[in-house]
Amino acid sequence: MEKITNVEELENALALMRKAQEKFATYSQEQVDEIFKAAAMAANKARIPLAKMAVAETGMGVAEDKIIKNHYAAEYIYNKYRYTKTCGVLEEDPAFGIKTIAAPIGLIAAVIPTTNPTSTAIFKTLLCLKTRNAIIISPHPRAKGCTIEAARIVYEAAVAAGAPEDIIGWIDEPSLEMTNLVMKESDCILATGGPGMVRAAYSSGKPALGVGAGNTPVIIDSTADIKMAVNSVIHSKTFDNGMICASEQSVTVLADIYDAVKAEFAARGCYFLQGDEIAKVGQTVIINGGVNARIVGQSAYTIAKMAGVDVPEKTKILIGEVESTDISEPFAHEKLSPVLAMYKAETFEEALCKAEQLVMDGGPGHTASLFINTNEKEKMAEHASRMHTCRIVVNMPSAQGGIGDIYNFKLVPSLTLGCGSWGGNSISHNVGVMDLLNIKTVAERRENMLWLRLPEKVYFKRGCMPVALDELGTVMHKKRCFIVTDTFLYKNGYVKPIEDKLDEMGIVHACFYDVAPDPTLQCALEGTKQMAAFEPDCIIALGGGSAMDAGKIMWVMYEHPDVNFDDMAMDFMDIRKRVYTFPEMGKKAYFVAIPTSSGTGSEVTPFAIITDATTGTKWPLADYELMPNMAIVDVDNMMNQPKGLTSASGIDVMTHALEAYVSVMASDMTDGIALKATKLVFDYLPSAYINGAKDPTAREHMAMASTLAGEAFANAFLGINHSLAHKLGAYHHIPHGVANALVLTYVMRYNANPVPTKMGTFPQYEYPHTLERYCDIARYNGLVGKDDQETFDLLIAKLEELKKTIGIPASIKEWGIKEEDFLATLDEMTENAFNDQCTGANPRYPLMSELKELYLMAYYGKDTREAALI
Amino acid sequence: MANREIIEEKSYKTVYREGNVIVKEFTPSHPKSDVFNEAYIHTCVEEAGVPVPRIISVEPANGGWALSMEYVPGKTLEQLMKENPDKCGEYIEKLVEIQLEVAQHRVPKLRNTRYKLEDVINGMTEIDASTRYELLQRIHGMKRHTRLCHGDFVPSNVLLREDGSYCILDWAHASSGNAGADAAITYLRFCLDDPQLADTYLKCYCQKADMAIQYVQTWMPIVAAAQLAKHKENERELLEKWISVAEYQ
Repeated sequence: MEKITNVEELENALALMRKAQEKFATYSQEQVDEIFKAAAMAANKARIPLAKMAVAETGMGVAEDKIIKNHYAAEYIYNKYRYTKTCGVLEEDPAFGIKTIAAPIGLIAAVIPTTNPTSTAIFKTLLCLKTRNAIIISPHPRAKGCTIEAARIVYEAAVAAGAPEDIIGWIDEPSLEMTNLVMKESDCILATGGPGMVRAAYSSGKPALGVGAGNTPVIIDSTADIKMAVNSVIHSKTFDNGMICASEQSVTVLADIYDAVKAEFAARGCYFLQGDEIAKVGQTVIINGGVNARIVGQSAYTIAKMAGVDVPEKTKILIGEVESTDISEPFAHEKLSPVLAMYKAETFEEALCKAEQLVMDGGPGHTASLFINTNEKEKMAEHASRMHTCRIVVNMPSAQGGIGDIYNFKLVPSLTLGCGSWGGNSISHNVGVMDLLNIKTVAERRENMLWLRLPEKVYFKRGCMPVALDELGTVMHKKRCFIVTDTFLYKNGYVKPIEDKLDEMGIVHACFYDVAPDPTLQCALEGTKQMAAFEPDCIIALGGGSAMDAGKIMWVMYEHPDVNFDDMAMDFMDIRKRVYTFPEMGKKAYFVAIPTSSGTGSEVTPFAIITDATTGTKWPLADYELMPNMAIVDVDNMMNQPKGLTSASGIDVMTHALEAYVSVMASDMTDGIALKATKLVFDYLPSAYINGAKDPTAREHMAMASTLAGEAFANAFLGINHSLAHKLGAYHHIPHGVANALVLTYVMRYNANPVPTKMGTFPQYEYPHTLERYCDIARYNGLVGKDDQETFDLLIAKLEELKKTIGIPASIKEWGIKEEDFLATLDEMTENAFNDQCTGANPRYPLMSELKELYLMAYYGKDTREAALI
Repeated sequence: MANREIIEEKSYKTVYREGNVIVKEFTPSHPKSDVFNEAYIHTCVEEAGVPVPRIISVEPANGGWALSMEYVPGKTLEQLMKENPDKCGEYIEKLVEIQLEVAQHRVPKLRNTRYKLEDVINGMTEIDASTRYELLQRIHGMKRHTRLCHGDFVPSNVLLREDGSYCILDWAHASSGNAGADAAITYLRFCLDDPQLADTYLKCYCQKADMAIQYVQTWMPIVAAAQLAKHKENERELLEKWISVAEYQ
């Protein structure tokens, strides 16, 4: 490449480098690894001349130590990443349809400091080669010769091994203008240097991996191995004359070992400054709060001489015993030289306070060091928690320790150490290849796992109840059975056959028969009290939805007396991802549900609703833990349902089946069940309504329809028909089934719109297809028009006819709700209906304004075809 | 014509009082643009509502140019400090308070301190390229502020009237930038003239400004370099020491 000495040359070079990088981006992992290896080998071979050049050019540091740093940058970095995948697909999981692909970032700008001018250049160029990035190096003017030479050696070896020409570049005549331009023109900046440089990098507008100043405080605890601790500090502090940013700047020693530590330092060739020598060295090392450039990387002897202090020539470190950790104390600063502060602390707490201040004032986020007996877990944990540093090294020299892989083999080897937000950095780890890649994640569409969850046992057929109950005694050996029912059923002898059967088997039993419609928490609490006193191992809930729901709630409170209904009733988007974990049920009692009406399907559903009578709050609970263990569907219990109940609960069954069939969660498992339920209702509800007990066959088919529809919506869930009906029923005291029927055909027209404002969100729900789904139902019921629309119209007409037959009024108004009352509650009902748990599974995601329109149409009994236009 | 009372004489200018007017008369060799620039800066500051002597005219005089402004009666803080050495602490406090009030003003028409300093450092030959690089990098890393900076805020430039109100003189070096830089300049001037007062000043300033001493210190190598550019031999040793500060790495 041509020399880069001015802005124009730089811009030309950057264009060439971008071209080179485009080519490099197409290289395979094998090609890249070959280049990476050749470059590392070349850098490694040149480690001695490069180190000597660095010392000669900068006049700082120790050649032998710089040799180690170069060796480290070449060998450890290669070793760390030799097998790391950095090209193409990194990970793939076909089952989940996800994979990650590595892409290079492009052109990396690297700013290289004077303190590590060759090793950092080797480190950064190797990382860029491994990641297929181009790198432009901005050396420090004071070290440009050796930095450029290091880059050149890596570059030539890389090109010889097949890398594109111009993939590594450098500024021959560095200036701030060019450094800034390089940063602006690059795609990412690897900035190693002082705070000014790092800030400049961050303000360039390009993503920057910047690192910052360190002021590593060491604590030597009373329990530390003193010889190891002191010699580790000396080993690290003298390394390259103290220029590594993770080097120790101060040691805080616990009072009881202070003298011993001091003696060891002295015995190993460190010099303790006396009297005014401390101030002399302090003023030499620190000028106006900054470190004197002339002492950086100089030997202890040279610095002492500059300060006018006479010390032996082989002195390793100048130690100042000082008291203040305030920045007004020169020794409290980062000194970039073999000059060390030493503090005495009476307690470990005092030592922590000192270290905390030294970190926050001098090197937030960088490194802290601790020497301690590692059995002192509490102290170590406290130290780790108090130090705002991204590296906390224990029992090791911090310079060699902080750069990783020398004294700990999981700390990533790196010459660029992130300092986190404390140090104003974007990263808090040791920089590695993953920081120089853009990782693409390819995610393919996958369908959610679905399920079919039912009670363990569903027994049915007329007269099956005593046979099924027999199992409680003969198979399960239950001893104590608690029956939950309502007063009407109890007084009319419905409990008697159960009690007789239990007596016959010698099962002790008790009965709570105070359940009222829309069961209240107060009622459930009373039942639970009796239940807790009785301590049943089996609960039988006999009745309609109310008794079965109340039974479920009592079951929950009996098994888990401390449950919180607010938590349990928390809405969820996906029942598998809900925040609340429902408590495990069935540890104390087995739950048997015996329906006496054909409607709710509660005997096979995981749902229950309870109302707090004092506040009016309704808690809809939903969790498969609430699923009964056994359902006994015996039509003998249902023969004498009153007409109104037959009508309301019968149309409720139809709504369950219709909504489950068009739900976004509908599946093949639930579809068949739902279709069958619709047919049974169409075929048998009219007679069951008209003839009641006189047509036991119709009753029996309706019982099956109810349970089938329950099974369908227990797994496919419902939709906005129920959302609207729940609130309409609650605000205007309309029976649930009737409320469902009043909005049913409007909701169907609305859902069937092939161009909905918004569709429901679920991976299985691929596009709006509700019209087709309704047509499936129509055709299954023998309704076939000339096209889908006509078929759908036939279904609607048949539903209208059914409603009429079973005495459902034509509108909410006709049911007897006053217009002013309805309108007064409309907005609140709308918002609450929108927020209903059932809304989420609706095939069309509704707007509140749309729900309001549906309410209004259903109120005035408008032509349902208007709902198709919403 | 009223009596002409010479106040100050320098190689490039003479300052004299004539009745209620102070005239700064520059020698013909003094760049015309400098005279107009000083008048411009001074006027900008005057318009911003800072208490300064009102500019009356800029006009040709004896082949050069003369800048006239109103005479403001009173004593400078420097005079007061000399007259009442025991009250030095109080006057320093006063100086700091006034400096902070000045820094409350924004005069966006003025040149930014950073660019001024960058220009000075770029043009210096007395320091090597590496040092210039580091100093420029240091400036570059500073936050971008736009406070009114006097640029030579020393006791001799602050005049107190008898009623206690103040008036600030000599706006030739004013700029828009970081208050910390302005404080660093004042601290440097104290270090050069009266080192004993320097630390008193810095502590007082940082306390009243609620500013970290390190922040002011970060500016010191930069302002020291700018001062070095004035080529005062007696200041050289101290300034070179101040400039030679490495950035932490």
